[in-house]
Amino acid sequence: MIVVTHPAREAVVITGIGAVTPLGHSFEVIAENLIAGRSGIRSIDPSAFARESHQFAAAVDLIPTPPNGICTIDAEGFVGLTRLEQMVISPVAHAIADAGLAPHRDRLRIGLVLGLGAEQLKMWELDFLSGGRQVFEPLHGDTLVHRVADLMNLRGPAMTVAAACASSGYAMALGRAWLNAGWVDACVVGGCDVLSPTALAAFYNLRALSRRSDDPAKASRPFDRDRDGFVMGEGGACFVLEPLSAAHRRDARVYGELAGVGMSSDASHMVSPCSDPVQATRAITQALADAHVTADEIDYVNAHAAGTPVGDAAEAGAIRRALGAAFDRVPVSSTKSMSGHLVSGAAAFEAVACLAAIARQAVPPTLNLDHPDDQCQLDHVPHVARARSVTVTASNSFGFGGANLCLVIREAA
Amino acid sequence: MHGSIPNAEATSAACGVASHALVEATLAEIPGLREQPVPEGVPALPPRYLRHCDEQTVVGIRAVLAAIAVHPEPRPTFTDYGVVAAPCQAGRIATAQSLAMLRTAGGVAVSPHIVPQCSLHSLAGAVSVALGMHGPNLGSSGGEHAVSEGLFASLSLLAADPSLPGIWLVVSGWTQEPLLDASGKPIDSTPQHALSGPICRALAVALTANEDAVADKGISRHLTLHMPATLRIAHPAAESLGAAAEILDFAVGLAAGPAASWSHNCPWGAEIRLAPRSTVHDGLRAEQRAIPRREAA
Repeated sequence: MIVVTHPAREAVVITGIGAVTPLGHSFEVIAENLIAGRSGIRSIDPSAFARESHQFAAAVDLIPTPPNGICTIDAEGFVGLTRLEQMVISPVAHAIADAGLAPHRDRLRIGLVLGLGAEQLKMWELDFLSGGRQVFEPLHGDTLVHRVADLMNLRGPAMTVAAACASSGYAMALGRAWLNAGWVDACVVGGCDVLSPTALAAFYNLRALSRRSDDPAKASRPFDRDRDGFVMGEGGACFVLEPLSAAHRRDARVYGELAGVGMSSDASHMVSPCSDPVQATRAITQALADAHVTADEIDYVNAHAAGTPVGDAAEAGAIRRALGAAFDRVPVSSTKSMSGHLVSGAAAFEAVACLAAIARQAVPPTLNLDHPDDQCQLDHVPHVARARSVTVTASNSFGFGGANLCLVIREAA
Repeated sequence: MHGSIPNAEATSAACGVASHALVEATLAEIPGLREQPVPEGVPALPPRYLRHCDEQTVVGIRAVLAAIAVHPEPRPTFTDYGVVAAPCQAGRIATAQSLAMLRTAGGVAVSPHIVPQCSLHSLAGAVSVALGMHGPNLGSSGGEHAVSEGLFASLSLLAADPSLPGIWLVVSGWTQEPLLDASGKPIDSTPQHALSGPICRALAVALTANEDAVADKGISRHLTLHMPATLRIAHPAAESLGAAAEILDFAVGLAAGPAASWSHNCPWGAEIRLAPRSTVHDGLRAEQRAIPRREAA
């Protein structure tokens, strides 16, 4: 006998946030820095990154230790972990604590979906640079997500997903799908990344990175006619998702609703976005339809716009097509101008930016947008934040392999 | 020991299994697979498409092409399909070579292909691009639980987007991880070691979403997901047989014929079962009629 049951679909809301970012580690601090237009991009120690000509990034100095009572590792043990492990464990633990979910872990199916695009590359690299040989003689071992689920006593499904620079957004999409299907009672979702000599060198050699080493804070200039690539960043964010009714029962703080998801693939090229952004447009329109909102109802679009010449122009075209006649009255900005590109963690960080826009009733700016590119015509928000009513936001993320994602995040009812 | 779940409901999902293929290759055979023509009747790959790909991507794409060649539809199209790929420790050889170059020659010597072509997302992206699939593509797992996470991710995407007609699932891994020398070159890649050395194994499975759409297309089996009725105490991470062994187990289940059944336990307690289509038909019909909760007799 087969039983197929589905609970009635209800709003999936965000009740906890944990973050480790170049712009701060709490929602309030990140929101403050985003609305104030502060850049987290600066010079970094070149000796750690083996490239004399690339000495800037959006780095995280100190990763906060997990709150007491959330995971089976103490502060001393946390310090002994690798930087990637710290970067994953910290936001997961802080999200659980922020949501007030810790006391309920023994009786709830809490899932965990992490967007980690290059977990093993980073772990092998960290080991290699400290004298290890794991990359040459590997042992079969568990991936980080299962160890984190164990450390946090999370008893639902656990999964790593990767869609390159859209990874953490796909993690959010899957977590929402699990809740909608009734497979979990709550889900911790998100993702992060760490700066890495290999990744920095590879992206530099791919000519994807900005070469404006003379003034790091000016290097990330999405949509500007003089943009020349992105600036690497590190960090990310995690969220607790749960049904609205469950959040109300627990009297939990609700930051916003993950109201819509759109996903598609260019199927055009492994690295470059398709010059005809029909599939990126489809992801945006799917997300709006999923959220039951029209283009006119969007108050803010957080663009993927990393500052690459081809990518920004293609995305601007996709946004114009998706928004139609509303395109010149929906404000668009790229917070990568401040945070750099958090790669696997970018989509989750930019979801925080959308929640910040809702909380502060202001659209964060695109820094360094001195001369908007004619190919990127949109309602830009250059240099300084724009105060306005923000109820419904959309956030785009695109990645290698032609992955397209759009999330609609709105004020919860 | 299990605890009870006060607000949990029995849930499941299902999808059809249209075709599958298992491809295995030794290190010595993989260079030939990069250049090998595609099977007759299967879409051609772009020229030199597999040149910079990770070994698991090469074998994985060959498995997809082989599965297309035996697909029950005469001219199947996958334009709106999604792709889920779950390789185990993908990109290790390229990473080792990049790290060796980083140390000896600096960042300038690091390959620009390592991130796009040798990461967890790369196999899924390569299948999507090669075969023109516009549904979502994503990598999953990267470790021992590739079969569990790949299957669960596939069912998750199908649940997330009812308009998705199907998913190509590719799971891959090495029977034993190749040993590498200090430059990152495999030590056992010579032909004389080919028979006893590591084997790269990839299984491609075409999963279909909609029962009505597949009813007349020769699809005889379904995968069903059964979530646990009780809470697990912890993630029993050590229970995995290893990705390559679990892939083979799945492939044997698929190859056992239309009347055979197979099941797989995920580390979080869910069970995924392969069964003849008629067994789950009534349950799926119940779901499609939007009856909120019904037990099929």
